[in-house]
This record gives sequence, structure tokens and C-alpha cells, in this order.
Amino acid sequence: LKTDVSLSSCQMLQPELNNKEPKMLALHRNLIGEGSHRRLSSSVRLEIQVSAQSCQAIVIERLPSGVFADPFELQHLVRRRVFSNAAVFGDTNLELPSFRSNRSLVEVHVRIDPGMFSGDHKQLEINIELPLHARYQPLGYGISRVEFGLPDIVFSCRNEGNLHEKSCLLVPTDQGVKDEDGNIVWEVPCGNKEHAKIVSFVTFISAILSALLIVWTSVSSSNIAFTADLKQS
Amino acid sequence: MVAINFRSLLLFSAFLRIFLIIYGEWQDNHMEVRYTDVDYLVFSDAASLMASGRSPYERSTYRYSPLIAFLLIPNSFIHPSWGKFLFSASDLLVGSFIHAILKLRGVPEKLCTYATMIWFFNPFTFTIGTRGNCEPIVCAMILWIIHCLMNGNICQAAVWYGLVVHLRIYPIIYALPIILVLDPLCFKFGKKPNLISWVPGGKQFSQSSFSTKVTDQNSIWLIVTSSFTWRRIVFGLLSGFMFFICTGFAFYLYGWQFLHEALLYHLTRTDPRHNFSIYFYHLYLHYEREFTTTEKLISFLPQIIVQLVLIFQFSQDFPFCFFVQTLAFVAFNKVMTAQYFVWFFCLLPLILPWSNMKLKWKGLGSTLLWMGAQTHWLMWGYLLEFEGKNVFIQLWLASVLFLAANTFVLISIIRHHRYSPVFRRVELAASENPGKSD
Repeated sequence: LKTDVSLSSCQMLQPELNNKEPKMLALHRNLIGEGSHRRLSSSVRLEIQVSAQSCQAIVIERLPSGVFADPFELQHLVRRRVFSNAAVFGDTNLELPSFRSNRSLVEVHVRIDPGMFSGDHKQLEINIELPLHARYQPLGYGISRVEFGLPDIVFSCRNEGNLHEKSCLLVPTDQGVKDEDGNIVWEVPCGNKEHAKIVSFVTFISAILSALLIVWTSVSSSNIAFTADLKQS
Repeated sequence: MVAINFRSLLLFSAFLRIFLIIYGEWQDNHMEVRYTDVDYLVFSDAASLMASGRSPYERSTYRYSPLIAFLLIPNSFIHPSWGKFLFSASDLLVGSFIHAILKLRGVPEKLCTYATMIWFFNPFTFTIGTRGNCEPIVCAMILWIIHCLMNGNICQAAVWYGLVVHLRIYPIIYALPIILVLDPLCFKFGKKPNLISWVPGGKQFSQSSFSTKVTDQNSIWLIVTSSFTWRRIVFGLLSGFMFFICTGFAFYLYGWQFLHEALLYHLTRTDPRHNFSIYFYHLYLHYEREFTTTEKLISFLPQIIVQLVLIFQFSQDFPFCFFVQTLAFVAFNKVMTAQYFVWFFCLLPLILPWSNMKLKWKGLGSTLLWMGAQTHWLMWGYLLEFEGKNVFIQLWLASVLFLAANTFVLISIIRHHRYSPVFRRVELAASENPGKSD
């Protein structure tokens, strides 16, 4: 997959792909769903002239350490043809809390479909929903804020003459996009430091009390059995 | 009431499981929420890696013995549901072993069938296998070990025991009760052990069991004087040999990655993410620093004390001992997920015929209390995980409540259980009833 998605495999530079500079018309991002499992929705509208047959869009998300994308879940979506390809780079340990994990990078490939074009075949709209999961956050007071930056969008097209060669075109996403449209924040509940002492105390007391109750019952119930037995004999 | 035949019960259970596996395929393909357990996808990926000559541990979160992945290799070339059929077949085997063990202990056929139904038609257990969880294999092995021990087949029991500890470490808690039950007074060379038959409620304590209890008072002395019998040594050596052969071979194939993922991870696992365990929030709140030795000791003490007391009190009634040990082990564990409940669900039918607890209302009350405490926890878990509400403190209190429910249920079960050693001691049997076996 790496060789397939790596931008270094692109042989030609931007100007040779297209004479006209691509223009970002709109970028809307929001988080769908509630809780620890959400979908990061990105809707991109741009002015570009690429061929639907030979091009695909590659959306690159730099995830903050507070969230992760499950590579196996993405592969499931690839199998269901939601994405044409997907990969996660960086910290893919799904179980670590955010203060012990590093950032990761997600690359999602989307086939360009003729249905995505509008406005005299010059405007292209891409919609993707990336499933993400919140890690356990550093301790704080109620809520921890996980902020997302803007994604990178690259068009990768196969050359008509040589199908093994690819051209790449990077679309600048930070031009003409308002911050409130692109940057989003995920508020994740986090543990409260002030709870530490009382939680530890009650945890150990309840464990010890439960253990003592079980021990007492075990010992006394065998004594009951013993006494009952003695009476019967 | 219509008499239920065990074979028709088995057949019906098999059809139910086949139906659920087929339904699961449909749900996976047509609905957003999958029927298949996420662990099954992990097993399948690991098996597919193994089939292509690679390490199953290349699949992150595969934390099992390579044997599980090996068993699921046909997933890649026969059918992806192969493993589910295998796990469900083990699930049916568990039911058959429950029936066989109860028959061996002289439980009437009708009662055996009812007890087996509790396994076959427990929605929790039949969905475990059909969703692709490997626990039914472990349960089947544990029950087969009990069956072998009851038949005096020590060598076979030892081999399976070594294997099951390699597969899933938790059955190590049964080592001491097995060693204790291999009492030289119960086992005589060349003879099958004499089993004490089930008797209807209220007439449980005969002279023989009385004597057994009296002798139990001296069990510590007995342990010292008769601990090194050849049966105990054979069991220890054979099971240890089997464990080390399997573990050594897996280490030879997959090196430290195997040792770390399949063994050390489980031994040192402290999960700060929310789970049923009372320790989860404490672990999360202190995860940024190392735990002190005192803290580790304090959290380990309740577990070890309860295990030791249960073992020394009930080891001669070892199916009951295994049940209470497992329930307590899960309740006091630092990590507790719903799949662990299967570990004691498979042993529950083995103790029911010896329980004085009336289904109406104590039995039903205990079941509802346990389920209610679990549902209460799940409600807070849902609010945290799916609604994003900060309910850590409520969720942790629900865990404490669930521990209280587990403790209450365990205490009720112990109090209503008619202690019945599995084996009759030989000299007592001879003096009481010469030449007759149960």
C-alpha cells in the first residue's frame, strides 16, 4: 500500500498536470455523531480540471494525539468500496491513552466519479467521512479539547501515455477557507484529578470489604454444614 | 410437563447456532453494526497472516496463543465463518460435557437436562460462539479436565490442563484445587476413584461426607504429609511439560513478540479504559505515574486471599470450587469484560443440582440483581462512550455496585450450596459399603 499511496511515486510536477491552477471554493468540516466514536466529515468543493477516468483524490489528515483511526476499520471500508484505498501512518496502537501516544497520519483515496462534477464539468465536490475514535484524554477538569487542522488534498492522475507514471497535484486547502469552516474541535470527557484520592480510597475499601465478606461466608458456611452434619449423625 | 430428550436438545441447540451464524453473515453485509465480534476479525487476520507464512502477531491486538490462529487457518480457504462453526461446536461440546459430568455424579436425567439447558439457551453464551469468540474452546477444555479427573484419568487431565493454561492463562487458578483433590485417600492404584452420588436436597450429609469434613479440618497437615504423592507429581510434571512445550514452540516460532503479546501482556495488563472492574478509574487517574509496590500489593491482596480461602474450603467439591474461584477471580480482576462471564457460566450448571436456593424468589432475585447492576453499569458506559457525557465518577460507582452484586451473588451461592465432595475416600467407602461403588 505504501508504494501505492506514496507521493514520491508521482513522476511529474503540478504545472504539467494541468495548465490551470486549482481553486478551493469551499471546505466544510464537522464531526458527526456523539461520544467516543465519531465520523469526521469533510466536504470539499473546488474548481479543477481533471479526468474522472484516470484521477483519484487523496485526502491526508494529520490527526492530533487525542484521536485515532483504526486501520482495520478503514480496510473494512475499502472492502466495501467506500474508499479506493486507505492507510494509517504513525502511532497505530489503538489502546494507549493520549498522553502515551503519538500523532498519526491518515491517507484516504477516493475515486473521482463523473457524478462528482458540476458547473460545466469544472467544479468538483468530494465528500468523505472518516471514522475516528477518541483516546483516553490527559486528566483535567471535565472536558479535554482535541483540535483538528486542515487536511491536505492531492490529486493523483495516471498519465494517458504511460499508465505506470503518475502526476500529482497538491490543492492548497488554506486559501479562501475560513477557520470556522476548516478547523474543528472535539470535546472529549476526561478524568478529574481531584477524584484521585477518594476514588483510590473507596476502590480499595470496597475490594477489601467484599473480600472479607466472602472469606467470612466461606468459613462460616462450612461451619454451618459441619454443625448440621453433626446433628444428623 | 413434556419430557425433553437430551439429543433433541442438542440438535435444536445446533440448529439455533447455525441459524445465528447465517444471520450474522447477513447482518454484517447489510447493517452498519456488525454481528461478528471484533476479536473474530482479529483472529481471522492473524490466521490469514499465518497461512501466508507470516507471524500472527503482525496483526495488532492479536494477544492469544498462535494455536487459535492456527485453528482458524481454514477461514482463508474454506469459508470465513469456519471459526464460528468451530467455536459453536465447542459450545455444543460444553453442553455435552455438562450433561456427562452431572450423569457421572449421579444426577437424575431430568435434572441433568434442565441444568444443561441453562448453558444451551443462555443468550449470552450462544451469542459468544456464533459471534466468533474463542472462549467456548477454553470452557470445553476445562469441563473435559473435570471429566477426566472424575474418571481418574490423571495423565489426560494434566495434558489438557497444560494446554488450556497455555491458551488462556486464567485456568492457572485451578492448579492448587486440582493438586488438593488428587488426595491419596481418594485414589488407589489401578482403580477408578469412587464418586459420591447426588442425593436429593436435605439428605446430603452422610457419615462419609461428615468424615470428609472432619478430615478437612486437618487439611493443612495432610497437605504437608501427603503432598508429594506420585499422582500429584505426575499431574504437575505432565501439565508443566505440556505448558512449556507449547509455550516454548510458540516462542521458537514467533520469539519475544509472542511472549510479550500472548503471555506478559495478560500478566501485567492494567487497562485504564472503562470496563466493569472497580480498578479502572483508579488506574486512569494514576496512569501518568508508576504504581508503588504497596499499591500493587493492596490491589492484589483481596484477590489472593479470596482465592486461597475458597480453595482450602471447597477444593474437595472441585466443580463448585472452580465456579466460586472463577466468579471471584473475575470480580476482583483489574480488567473485567463481558466475555469473562462465560468462564463461570460454563461451570454454573455443574453446581445447580447441589443448591438449596429456590428459583422463586431467591434465585430469580439474585439473577435480576446481577443483571440489574450490569445494566446499570452499561447505561453509564453508554452515556460516556456513545453520548460523550463526563460520567466517569458515576460509571466507577456503578462498577463498585457491580462488585457488590457479584459479592452478594457469590455469598448467596455459597450459603445455599450443599457441600458435596466429589470423591469418596477409599477406606471410608470400604468400611461403609465394601465392594460397592457409586
